[in-house]
Amino acid sequence: MSDLAYLGIAEAASLLRSKKLSSVEYTNALISRVEKYDSQLNAFLRFTPEIALEDARRAEAEIASGQWRGPLHGVPYALKDIVDYAGLPTTAHSKILADNVAAADSAVAQKLRAAGGVFMGKLSTHEFATGGPCFDLPWPPARNPWNRDHFCGGSSSGSGVATAAGFVPAAIGSDTGGSIRNPATLCGVVGMKGTYGLVSRRGVFPLAYSLDHVGPLTRSVEDNALLLDLIAGRDVLDPASAEAPAGGYAAALQGGVKGLKIGVIRHFYQRDMQGEAEMVGAIEAALEVLAGLGAQVREIETAPLDEYAACNRIILAAEAYAIHERWLQERPGDYASLTRERILAGAFISSADYINALRVRARLTRAFHALFSGIDVAITASALDPACRIDDPAELDRTYGRQARGPFNVTGSPALAVPVGFSKTGLPLGMQIVGKPFSEALLYRVGHAYERATNWLARHPVLAAG
Amino acid sequence: MTENLTLDEVRAMALRAGLTRLTDDHLQQLLRATQKAQQWRRALPTANLTPADEPSHLFRLSGDEEL
Repeated sequence: MSDLAYLGIAEAASLLRSKKLSSVEYTNALISRVEKYDSQLNAFLRFTPEIALEDARRAEAEIASGQWRGPLHGVPYALKDIVDYAGLPTTAHSKILADNVAAADSAVAQKLRAAGGVFMGKLSTHEFATGGPCFDLPWPPARNPWNRDHFCGGSSSGSGVATAAGFVPAAIGSDTGGSIRNPATLCGVVGMKGTYGLVSRRGVFPLAYSLDHVGPLTRSVEDNALLLDLIAGRDVLDPASAEAPAGGYAAALQGGVKGLKIGVIRHFYQRDMQGEAEMVGAIEAALEVLAGLGAQVREIETAPLDEYAACNRIILAAEAYAIHERWLQERPGDYASLTRERILAGAFISSADYINALRVRARLTRAFHALFSGIDVAITASALDPACRIDDPAELDRTYGRQARGPFNVTGSPALAVPVGFSKTGLPLGMQIVGKPFSEALLYRVGHAYERATNWLARHPVLAAG
Repeated sequence: MTENLTLDEVRAMALRAGLTRLTDDHLQQLLRATQKAQQWRRALPTANLTPADEPSHLFRLSGDEEL
């Protein structure tokens, strides 16, 4: 049996179902690990071992009586703390919502509970899923398990850290301008932002309604597909929920990339902005791996990054300000400084600017999706730099916008962040695989083929006990 | 809105918008944030938009849809 801390969902499910592993034993091992190491990493904002053990005991009894519910049954998971779990506070890592107890489960929590998952707790986020790592909040920011002096990405910070650190094999995050894929890349795990509307946002505190996505973070592509299988699908209570078929992702992983047409959006990281050399080198090496597996790789072009970024930022700021206006009027001092400045950017965006951004978005979306008449998937950078130090505000500010994730929040396209290696200093590097709407199964197939051809999955951070 | 806002202008705008509890530090943040939003506005490629370019609504995305 593998080290329990780094057991994947698929392997754990097999062991649990065949009763070679007890859910209580598995859960206790992860609880001990969180207790030993998380004081150094701050992945959990609210750790709930008592709920976890109750869930584990229930799962164990059900499995013992032959009522196996599926791959998450008896397997630990955790939620970003903007995602409601009935009876617990959803704080969004903010003083403003410190006492905001959820009356009901979010749609994703409901699904994971029904799947028999073992709930380990609520995970750190950037305040209200925006801003950055802040030291002027009731809870400290999460830190990178590969080097705790470095940023772990965000805003789904705890989700990236908890999976990379072996605290849980599965976590839920959200993504409005890249917030699943950024921590996935900087922590060396896999993160999927599915097509807009694929996963219900019901019960998830909004940042920007028309850009918000909910999705899974895991260590492997297979585990990510298993988790998306559980949480994707139509929800009539989410007004943006898509009426489209969902599921079957894990079942479609095989098939490889032979003959697939891959378009590389190189200008995002080599012309519009210059990616850091090790990041660029790792992405180019990954493309060579895929070509070696039989994919046809060619360069493609879309609109420049700054056009997508302007569109994303105007829409995000305007929608976020609408949500936060009352609190900014009544209690502006209760926000972290960084969050307040980010959200105030929407205060004076005019209705014309907002509508024009939506009009540009329609054009960008049409043009981007048209590219897929000649390719199957696209590949580009995620972050343009490895993680910078968490205590360096100037570097955090400089690298904040150096990313190629926002375009796919603008277009609503599915985008999968996968690890592609490590810098010389041991920090994770990553890329994105992007597709046309509802092509998540194909993205997973490409990611899985790449993952199997490399050995990044076998590397784990060395943690220091607190 | 003028392109080169001053702190006093932002203070007056904030009061009109009901942002009456911002401290001087908060107003400096509002000034920087508003200047950033103006940069985004300038970077938005609106020159080629025609009246027929409608706002996007992604709520009807479908895998088979011709976009």
